[in-house]
Amino acid sequence: MKNCKLKFLRRMITPGMVLALLVFQGFGNLYAQDIPITGTVTDAASGEPLIGVNVIIKGTTQGTISDVNGGFNLTVPNQETVLVFSYVGFSTQEIPVGTNTTISVTMEEDIARLDEVIVVGYGTVKKSDLTGAVSTVRSEEITAYPAIGVTQALQGRAAGVNIQSNNGEPGSSYKVRIRGATSINSSSDPLFVVDGFPGASLPPPEDIQSVEVLKDASATAIYGSRGANGVILVTTKQGRAGRTMVDFSSSFSLQKEIKRMELLNADQYAAYQLEIYPGDPKFMPPYEDTDWQDVILQNGGIQNYQLAVSGGNDRVTFYTSGIFYNQKGIIINSKYKRYSITSNVNIKATDWLNFGVNLMGQRSVQDGIKSQEGSGGTNGTGVLAAAVQFEPTLGIYNPDGSFTVKSIGDPHDNPYALATQLKNEDVRDRLLANIYGEVTLLRGLTFRANLGGNVFNRREGTYTPTTLNAGYNVGGRGTVESWKNTDIVSENYLTYTNIFGDIHDLTVMAGYSYQSFRDENWEAEASGFITDANSFWDLGGGTVWASDSRLTFSELSSFYGRINYKALDRYLVTVNARYDGSSRFAKNNKWAFFPSFALAWNINNESFMQGIEPISMLKARLSWGQTGNQAIGPYESLAKFGTVFSVVGGQVVNAVRPTSVANDNLTWETTTQMNIGLDVGVINNRIMLSFDYYSMLTSDLLFQVGLPEYSGYSSQLANIGEVENKGVELLLTTRNLTGELKWSTDFNISFNRNKIIKLPNGDDVYYGINPGHILTENTNILREGQPVGMYWGFYYDGVYQEGDEFIPGGGFEQEAGGEKYRDIGRVDADGNHIYEPDGTLNNNDKDIIGNPHPNFIFGFNNTLAFKGFELNVFFQGQQGNDLYSWTIQELDRLGGNANATIEALRRWTPTNTNTDVPKATVGRSYTPSTRFLYDGSYIRLKNLSLGYNLPASLISRIGIRSLLVYVSGQNILTITDYPGFDPEVNYQSTGTTDSNRNLSVDYGSYPNAKTYTMGFKIGF
Amino acid sequence: MFNHLKIRKMKNIKLFGILFIMAAIVGCTDLEEDPVGVLAPEGFFRTEADVEAAIFGAYGRIASERLYGRKLVLSIQLLSDMCDIGDRGTPARRQQINDFNSDANNGMTSNIWPYSYSVISACNAAIEGANIIDTDEATRNALIAEARFVRAWMYYHLIRLYGDIPYVGEFVNDPEAVATISKTSVSEIYGFIIEDMEFAWQHLPMTHPDNVRTRPSKGTAYTMLASVYLTMGNWQQAYEKAKWVIDHAAELDYGLVDNYQDLFDATKQDGIKEHIFAIDFLGQQNGGGGENDDLMGPITGVRGADVVGWSVSVPSMLVYETWDARDYRKKVSFADSMIIGGELKDYTFYEDVPRPHMAKFHRFPGNANQDTRYSDHNYVCFRYAEVLLIAAEALNEVSGPTAEAQGYINQVRARARQWPTFTSDFPADVAGGLSKDEFRDTIMEERRLELCFEFKRWYDIKRRQMGDEVFKGANSLEPHDNFNSGIHYLLALPGDELDRNPNLLPQNPGY
Repeated sequence: MKNCKLKFLRRMITPGMVLALLVFQGFGNLYAQDIPITGTVTDAASGEPLIGVNVIIKGTTQGTISDVNGGFNLTVPNQETVLVFSYVGFSTQEIPVGTNTTISVTMEEDIARLDEVIVVGYGTVKKSDLTGAVSTVRSEEITAYPAIGVTQALQGRAAGVNIQSNNGEPGSSYKVRIRGATSINSSSDPLFVVDGFPGASLPPPEDIQSVEVLKDASATAIYGSRGANGVILVTTKQGRAGRTMVDFSSSFSLQKEIKRMELLNADQYAAYQLEIYPGDPKFMPPYEDTDWQDVILQNGGIQNYQLAVSGGNDRVTFYTSGIFYNQKGIIINSKYKRYSITSNVNIKATDWLNFGVNLMGQRSVQDGIKSQEGSGGTNGTGVLAAAVQFEPTLGIYNPDGSFTVKSIGDPHDNPYALATQLKNEDVRDRLLANIYGEVTLLRGLTFRANLGGNVFNRREGTYTPTTLNAGYNVGGRGTVESWKNTDIVSENYLTYTNIFGDIHDLTVMAGYSYQSFRDENWEAEASGFITDANSFWDLGGGTVWASDSRLTFSELSSFYGRINYKALDRYLVTVNARYDGSSRFAKNNKWAFFPSFALAWNINNESFMQGIEPISMLKARLSWGQTGNQAIGPYESLAKFGTVFSVVGGQVVNAVRPTSVANDNLTWETTTQMNIGLDVGVINNRIMLSFDYYSMLTSDLLFQVGLPEYSGYSSQLANIGEVENKGVELLLTTRNLTGELKWSTDFNISFNRNKIIKLPNGDDVYYGINPGHILTENTNILREGQPVGMYWGFYYDGVYQEGDEFIPGGGFEQEAGGEKYRDIGRVDADGNHIYEPDGTLNNNDKDIIGNPHPNFIFGFNNTLAFKGFELNVFFQGQQGNDLYSWTIQELDRLGGNANATIEALRRWTPTNTNTDVPKATVGRSYTPSTRFLYDGSYIRLKNLSLGYNLPASLISRIGIRSLLVYVSGQNILTITDYPGFDPEVNYQSTGTTDSNRNLSVDYGSYPNAKTYTMGFKIGF
Repeated sequence: MFNHLKIRKMKNIKLFGILFIMAAIVGCTDLEEDPVGVLAPEGFFRTEADVEAAIFGAYGRIASERLYGRKLVLSIQLLSDMCDIGDRGTPARRQQINDFNSDANNGMTSNIWPYSYSVISACNAAIEGANIIDTDEATRNALIAEARFVRAWMYYHLIRLYGDIPYVGEFVNDPEAVATISKTSVSEIYGFIIEDMEFAWQHLPMTHPDNVRTRPSKGTAYTMLASVYLTMGNWQQAYEKAKWVIDHAAELDYGLVDNYQDLFDATKQDGIKEHIFAIDFLGQQNGGGGENDDLMGPITGVRGADVVGWSVSVPSMLVYETWDARDYRKKVSFADSMIIGGELKDYTFYEDVPRPHMAKFHRFPGNANQDTRYSDHNYVCFRYAEVLLIAAEALNEVSGPTAEAQGYINQVRARARQWPTFTSDFPADVAGGLSKDEFRDTIMEERRLELCFEFKRWYDIKRRQMGDEVFKGANSLEPHDNFNSGIHYLLALPGDELDRNPNLLPQNPGY
């Protein structure tokens, strides 16, 4: 261990030094110059010149690119030279030079993009040579509308990828699931790899060239113990040789809530309360009539600017970009800003050495409000929950100028006070530096080394002033918490490519990588301030303090390799393997091996397919492999003593207790995945269909296995449990019209079925997803044979009427107008749950009442283009999931401690008995039941945009390369049955375990917004 | 030619360089974890302070929301006839405990159980540690004595709540070792408790430095032992242990405080002479896992009052009405008026539950949140008044209502007459001429009032088998017709624990 530091330094330094040495030796090996060639490249469809087409001498890296007029000049060594013309989105052409000295090429749009190069882990592959399931999303889709990050921009774009906002607040995170959640207690988040750096910070959408989503094991196994949840490869934009291009884009958006909830007004509310509290003067006029939604909602907006300069020559290319994104939320006092700078430089030092640097710096500042709170008890209310439940009969201020507080039930702060008084600032800085060198050792053999560092700093400060309940109780409370996470990665791999006898096309890659993760975290808290004026910047001014700090360090050491073999341009074989060693694994299981195998068959290259005219492409794919999920936290396999807060004699003393027992065999979760795919293209690939069926079984699930609690421990992390995800994905791409009026359609739809196969001891696991002040009972269940996260509750049978037989049971109403629940179960002598009524209501009458998983998710994108105009219509949605709403339950419980929705107007009264809404009554229990279960399906018009590209002929005269102006709308239409703000909800769904099993629950979520955008993009 | 040579040479350099890089990278990391900021059990115990830290760990767990901050003590309150559910909108788990319809999945039970055993686990770790460290015998025994006291104290709660339970008397580092054990009978566990208490009495000091009352002394050990024998019905032993404490009151620095209110004033509790053992909460401090989170103030406080509470545990109206107002203890124990909206209003103006609420836990919380959460209270487990009442009760069973026995009660009553500014005529001294049975009833009533809301009454009801009388009798303060003495003197064992270890079956009868 002693030498390790030194070695580590050396490890950091050597690649760079070697590269530097090699650079100096490298210059001066230039080719002999023989035949000058000139030519032009045009678009076959429009006849317009194509700018930036790569013109390469086949078998070399020598070449040039076409200029503004589509022209190029190049010198070739001899007449046998073959020139390769390639351009993104067009079919690559190879032209032998022969005796020509001028070559004019017309490029055909490649509808299927079969020649497109797809980035895969540690390399690239031609799309037609893919054996795995990979989705590609391109720059124009990622930047179709202003997005806070690339995950938001990916929503609905790729089959098998389900993306949901966790909360609508500007700056909130998105949940990404590729082919369902493979885990229950570990993260099911995919691995993000940015320009070869696993786990690096994500660049802003505008700096991204393409995103590849690796879905099956053939594609993901190369990432071994981190590949089980799929891998998202992000490739940033690079400069291209040619004239320097300056691009500026700007957009302005106006945002509004998707909808409001229909609540009782002051008179209706007062009438409701008077039924519970007859004659209470609080509900007699005069009173205010405040629409609290009106008070807290505002017109939000986004400004988004990017300035990018890119270009280069045949030796050096560069791309630099600065982006500023500024969002004002649709709720008062919520804001988000992001600034970033990206710089990518690639240098072709010699014919055998390329190297380059990617740098990114990013700062985001979120100035937030509280929403989706865990508890809206006396202290913890959030703005949204407060806005819907607060009394409309009160105003914002009391006569003495203080803020009003709810006068019924818990004394919640009013939503205006919550939004304006609480300070919550979250500043995140991301720094990424990545250098690479690529050395051609022999013909076909290259070595590439990446050395990267990624630093993530975050500081969150909150201050709860004495003007709010929570602050008043403690004399103001301030907290500051910081994180500093440092990742260092060193990737080194060799790639060998050769074609043997024109038949055997072989690529072999092998490498080693080392990555370390150091996570620091510290926090301080103080309360009891003399003034609220200093916010959280004077914690020393408090009278009560607390602080804490933490450090974890972990390492990952990996060997990996891949063989791609293609025979006769028809038969494709891919073998991947990775051997991962992780410090997080327990001592008996430090190393893990992850293999995958894949076969593909380009059937239409077979001779028997020739002449079957309509079929222009036909490919079958089959893969099998294993990947892992190493989401064991550092030190989780070790036995530990935990500290205890303890007081003796009025003083805090050092105290400990045993908290964890060791598990020397703790290991990764393994996902075994099989994938069958078929790609079909007909009518010259104008209609393309991709179909994938997959089956994944994740075994050795990490579970906190309950230990006998009398042992003093509650649980031990162990590898027990299995979960299965099976599904079908369909991607249909059609070019409906290809003439002057172009119309293309992309439709993707994904069906995933999640099922728990095995739980510890086969026992059901019960848990609750609910705000603590409402309920802390179990509302959800994990059960073998069922999907993860099913809702667990009672069946609501409407309202008891006078003369009904009331079913007895503690906490259940037994009177006319009361909520009526179904008696369905009992427990037999052995403690087994039997579904058979027993005449009383209790926990045995709970059942699985809902499923939070959609039957399918889909995206449907239409693009129409005509003479520079482009119309884009993009729908996205999900179908068939249930949604549980605590937001509405808190209101429509009609327990007299909150406002209610207009459903309350249908409540039972002695004169209005024909209803399923119970009567108003004080202190009604919160019962999880089908009453507040909703259909969470929705279809959303995610984007509707109309753009106009000014003709090049017009603008080029004034020195402008391109100019696009557009107007667009996002989320302007949402079709759903859910009466809350929005069905895209994820209450308590951001923690590791929570994100897997707490699904589709609504409580006080910040609503997603609809957006109207106008903008332009101009290029010089 | 020259160029070619150079290229070949260069290639060698390149290859060599790359192999060198890869060799440097591989073979360094051994993937061992070397945690910082995490305590490993191996080699933890080196000094007395390390053992003390484990004992203090037990105290910290007791002073948590799950035990003395709310769940344990609230459960004991609600089970009794002195504390009823106020706001019926409160979570069902509390109502089920109060209404005698809880089951094996009740959320109070399922939290009390593991936290209690984490206290026991910390004690067992301390005992193991004390046996390892290098120290003198007296110090070692004192440390073991303290750990054994706390362990026995915790088991005493558990057996009264649950009956037969698994008994773990040693530190567990491999849970497999205890995975299949069976329950130990209550009587056997009483045996262990008595052994622990006798050991504790031998090796604990008479007093602690700085007059600390939240660590046990010899007096604490015998007070608890007196309580244990009383519960077992071993009257002679109960009397003897209580008598020993009374006889040594001066050396132990025990006595009744003059003002009954002082017992419940968080600013006056540290070192107060009447406290024999208390659980210490520190104001406005929040530990992890509910540690040091005292919620009894808001739980018993008044919803809608300026010092706001949640009206969860509220005595029935009869508890208030049947208590003579001349008794100063009634004044201290009840909040029958509160400041609401800046004005003093009587209980009929209480928003949700228009009944007098208990005041012991939210009137003087000391340094606390505005709603009295995170109070500075020391929650008393044993105080000197109870020792007197134990002695009186046990002596009555042994020798009838002797003058000595009467004298013990009268000490308590005399203090109850003592208002801050005058002396009341109520409660009068115990009249002579009572029969043994009458005297027993008198003592039980005295315990009900003197120790009201102090997490004692349910255990009295249980040990004296008074359930049918106090919940179904004509004079019931809080009627529960469904009370079943064949079932409800015990809570259900946590269902998931029985699933994990079926050797713990059968479940308690009726669940």
